[in-house]
Amino acid sequence: MNVLEAKEIVKDFNGMKALDRVSISVEKGDFFGFFGPNGAGKTTLIRILTGQLEPTAGTVSVLGVDAIKEPLRVKDHIGIVPEVESPPTYLTGYEYLYFVGKVRNLDKLEDRVEKWLSFFDLEEKKGTICKDMSKGMRQKLMLASAFIHEPELLFLDEPFINLDPIYQRTLRDYLEEYVSNGGTVFMASHILEISERLCNKLAIVNLGKVVAQGKIDELVKDGDNLERLFLRSVGVLPGRGER
Amino acid sequence: MLREEYRTHTSYSGKSRFLSFPAFVFVLSLMSGLTIDSMLETITLEQLAVFSHLSAFMYGLSVGAFGLMGREYLERRYGRSNYLVAMPYLLPLSFRTTFLGIYLRDAVFYVLLMLAPAALGLVAAAPIMGFSLVSIALFFVAVLVAFLVGMSLSFLASVVYIRSTRVFVVFTAAIAAVFVLQGAFSIPGLEILVPSLGFHTNVRPLGSDAVLALAYLGASAAAVVLMTALAYALVEIRISISSQTYSNLLPEYHARTRWLAGLNRTLMAKELVDLRRSGIIAKMFFSFVLPLLFLSFTVWFVNYGLAIPVGFNAVFYAAMVGFIGVMMYNWLNNIDLAEYYSLLPVTVPQLVRVRILVFLFLTLGISTFFVVAIALLNGETELLWLALLVMFVTSLYMVVVTAYLTGLKTNSFLFDTSVLAKFSVMSFLPDVCLTILSFSLLANWTIAVSGIALVLASLAITTTILYRGIEQKWARTSF
Repeated sequence: MNVLEAKEIVKDFNGMKALDRVSISVEKGDFFGFFGPNGAGKTTLIRILTGQLEPTAGTVSVLGVDAIKEPLRVKDHIGIVPEVESPPTYLTGYEYLYFVGKVRNLDKLEDRVEKWLSFFDLEEKKGTICKDMSKGMRQKLMLASAFIHEPELLFLDEPFINLDPIYQRTLRDYLEEYVSNGGTVFMASHILEISERLCNKLAIVNLGKVVAQGKIDELVKDGDNLERLFLRSVGVLPGRGER
Repeated sequence: MLREEYRTHTSYSGKSRFLSFPAFVFVLSLMSGLTIDSMLETITLEQLAVFSHLSAFMYGLSVGAFGLMGREYLERRYGRSNYLVAMPYLLPLSFRTTFLGIYLRDAVFYVLLMLAPAALGLVAAAPIMGFSLVSIALFFVAVLVAFLVGMSLSFLASVVYIRSTRVFVVFTAAIAAVFVLQGAFSIPGLEILVPSLGFHTNVRPLGSDAVLALAYLGASAAAVVLMTALAYALVEIRISISSQTYSNLLPEYHARTRWLAGLNRTLMAKELVDLRRSGIIAKMFFSFVLPLLFLSFTVWFVNYGLAIPVGFNAVFYAAMVGFIGVMMYNWLNNIDLAEYYSLLPVTVPQLVRVRILVFLFLTLGISTFFVVAIALLNGETELLWLALLVMFVTSLYMVVVTAYLTGLKTNSFLFDTSVLAKFSVMSFLPDVCLTILSFSLLANWTIAVSGIALVLASLAITTTILYRGIEQKWARTSF
């Protein structure tokens, strides 16, 4: 069953085509990796898939809901971690999670907030306002705010960025468990080593077009790895059989 | 920095729309030039000069307040915008140098945006109206100096505010006292407070005392240099990250706002926490109360300084309060970046509606106090009910018009000519109607009150339509 189905997505910014007829489908339980060089259109696609941005053309269905017509219903059921960590300046970590929980109308809110503050080791900083936090702490807070309502589908844009190796590992373990329990992840990342370990499917985008898509073990084989596949797909290394 | 400022503005409304703003000023100035003979039938050239200088001075005051942004300005580097002013974090530049850079950038940018096109409009009218180009050049120099005096005073005041709130209160109280003295007893002369006016009234076509004019020009330049240098020396930015911890107010504020339901309650509680922690309340209060004091001073000055018997009354003040208060809505939109809302099931219209409520919560108390005080001081308690009604309706109307036209980006959209034109018409027309009708209250009570009732009913209907229209207009917009 597809939890995400994007067809022929085009996004034009004042004549500059950021995405050109991109089609992607993700099944329930997939850990879908989305890769591409800087400026390839990854963040633009994530913003479209999550109802934050309207495409110029194309259709998007997320958990059976039209993300273009009903972005709020989509946001109700998904968790989003943006590329730039930007929690509200004047709320404390505790307050931000409490705020997200109230907006999402969650039950047992105090318990949930404490659980995620504890998970990311933010308990001692729960009285610090976001503008006084380090980038790593703010990234942890953004992750916690995306996980707090236990969504069926997660959209993660560079989730490992700014995290120390300990929390990179903690997050990796959590995401593996989340997927094994039936969750689905759509993740854009430049950290290919971690991604190769986590993802079962992938798409590579270059200059706004999908240049490779499929199951990772079908695309990466014969002693190859994700990095070489990526470099070949975006034209930095010659293709297989080419010299 | 100039390019950065230009790109910031054009990124909101597009190049052509942004560039049409100075074109709009040019046309307005040209039309004023072409119709000056009609204006001079009701007002003298000297009064027109006083009005121009005070306007330029106030314009400078508002531009120079960037120092108030202080740390917040620098912290924008963490958002989507990285301003050059944050470069001292990375490069061997001092904050003082970059703040002086901002001062110079804003001086050049806002002169090019407003004063230069206004002067060019008069130049364009010169062949038809026979204006002397030398007189226009002298007028431009005079209002430029008035603008710079206002800007440097505001820059200095805002820098003082960042260093010490107490000194700031004394500083502004002293300035206000001097202006009150001027209004009440004409001591010191207005030329002393705004020396550019002294320069202007001594050069053609208003006068011909070159020595005195140069003395006033020199005094103006010295005031600008002195205040800027002092502000430059006092600028203080603390780079260190605060280790202060806060008690978690949001659950408490959420509990207190139970008069609202659902999402609105949560958004309102969050806005109130932002207001308290950001320290913006004092700045908002200042930016609301200062124009009210300026209005009172102007009325006082016209009545007693210029001895023009205009029938200003509590109803007139009430209408003005409603129109002035709208800038508070702009402040609310500048407290923090709102991008994180796009990750949540929240829409722009939902937040706009809550900010309208916050606006009312913040302003109605002060506005009511001001109108009641004016009515008591003027001995017009019989007008109080009408004045309060006018104040409530115009306040609500103006904030809804602003919210409808500009959404959450008030500052930026008001530089979009099409938005500005709509805003001007929608605010100017009822303002003029209410002013004229308020002046007629003593002459013909029944007709004036009927007219005011008609205007208020129209405003109430428009408010309802626009308030409902916010949903459709802003629903598909990103934060």
